[in-house]
Amino acid sequence: MVSSLTVKSIKLAALLAAVLLHGPLFAGTMESAHDLMARMAKASRELNYQGLFTYEYRGNLTSVKVMHGVRDGQTFEHILHMDGAQREAVRRTDNVDCLRAGDMLLRGNAYRINNDNYARLEDFYEFHIKGDGRIANRQVTMVHVLPKDKHRYGYVVAIDKESGLLLQSVLMSHTGKPLERFQFVEIVVGASLSEMGFDEEAEDFAGVAVDQVDCLEANRQVTSSPSMWRAQWLPPGFVIASHRAADENGQESMMFTDGLAVFSVFIDPDKGRSLPSIDANLGATVAVLTKADINNQEYAICVVGEIPRATVNQIASAISLSP
Amino acid sequence: MSDHKERLDQSLSAFMDGEASDMEMHRLLKEVSEDTELRNKWKRYHMASSALKGDPAIASIDYSSAIAAAIEQEPAHRLGGLAVFAGSAGRFAIAASVALVAVFGVQQLNSPLDTVSDVSEFAGVEQMDEENTGPAIQFPSGFQPIINARTVSAGGNNKRSQYVTPVIEVRQQVKQKYSETELRAYMNDIMVKHSNHAVLNSNQGMLPFARLNDGEAATEKE
Repeated sequence: MVSSLTVKSIKLAALLAAVLLHGPLFAGTMESAHDLMARMAKASRELNYQGLFTYEYRGNLTSVKVMHGVRDGQTFEHILHMDGAQREAVRRTDNVDCLRAGDMLLRGNAYRINNDNYARLEDFYEFHIKGDGRIANRQVTMVHVLPKDKHRYGYVVAIDKESGLLLQSVLMSHTGKPLERFQFVEIVVGASLSEMGFDEEAEDFAGVAVDQVDCLEANRQVTSSPSMWRAQWLPPGFVIASHRAADENGQESMMFTDGLAVFSVFIDPDKGRSLPSIDANLGATVAVLTKADINNQEYAICVVGEIPRATVNQIASAISLSP
Repeated sequence: MSDHKERLDQSLSAFMDGEASDMEMHRLLKEVSEDTELRNKWKRYHMASSALKGDPAIASIDYSSAIAAAIEQEPAHRLGGLAVFAGSAGRFAIAASVALVAVFGVQQLNSPLDTVSDVSEFAGVEQMDEENTGPAIQFPSGFQPIINARTVSAGGNNKRSQYVTPVIEVRQQVKQKYSETELRAYMNDIMVKHSNHAVLNSNQGMLPFARLNDGEAATEKE
């Protein structure tokens, strides 16, 4: 009896010691959920990878083959939809190091909206590490991203422990229902561009224009040449990330992000007469087209994004021409 | 419970524990295809074991019957005049930055236009409700997702069969004439542009491109 009690207390002491010794160590090596997210954004841009992912919404599943590579500061991307009609995209961007508004928000740098206001991702989302998992035969850290208000959705993401790449992302509604799911089934990280067969596609890549040649220039444009159009109301936390002046058809566009969610606003001066007002759903994407009659011009104003419909409607009705 | 059933149940338990013999496995496989009750039990065991392991994706939904029912009820599809349009305007307007090679296989869907007046819904899909839009596999059990499997009656052209067309709802206070092809083209165009935007700023890699589903097929107003 005595001996068993002693054994028990020794066990307890050992357990306590283990907890005390190990506890702080554990905390020290563990990245915060927010750091993980920031690392993820960096990894998805800077690493070479190729793989297959699935995209699922409303019980529909499509698979997509993706290649992403970086060479001489330029990124090369090739996206091929594996089923349905033949669709593929090749894309080339300059300046892999350039930070856009979305990056800055996610990296936790306070992003300056104007002289008095700063946007911070943590003000609008909570991040929780939910343990480990396995996706595409790789070890991942699961992170739950919960919105703090009704103007954005939450996410369940899986981040590759080794590379930091996003291997799964499930968009969650406020009632906790999944709206769409993106998940890699197979991925190879770290192969060189030639190993991934990019050289054979060099011609394709040469054929496409570089996306936003100078990102810094694009960012500057946001502040120096503001649009005549204003959003009288924006969901809190969203900042303007790009503005494209009227193109040859007169279409102006603006894009807003809170670091995770994105929505775009398109304004067409003459489309209002020929297009009806619409509400549309495309997967998890919501689009609302409204019309505004200003100075005998019937403008079509379209707001599109992966945000709740009520928010989209609210934004659409708040777009107006500044006097 | 008959002896036979009892034996099967024991085999099933053994199988779930990974201790079934080859013989038992054979018998189980043979029986499970015919015996609904056994099949349901099998599913329950799997769900329970997945739940215990903390597996997030509990494969509990048996699609086979729902899909068969959906196909059964499906009206036959016809090809209409818009197929011609598919070759030209149906393609994505190519954003400066992205060369998207899109060859649309447009398939006509019968639209329930006659049933609505001011609001015309011209995809053959019900108004999407945020509560039931997600990946079907994650629906809690007992909650059936709406499965939009479509088949085509014309031979050969079934490449779009597993897609849902986007839901576009037209709100009209005043009846306005508009071209649906123009509307579709416009929607395609802004989706491509939005995806381009999103790829640069959402920090989610190339996920936004996956959203460019080929469901952007036009339907014709009757």
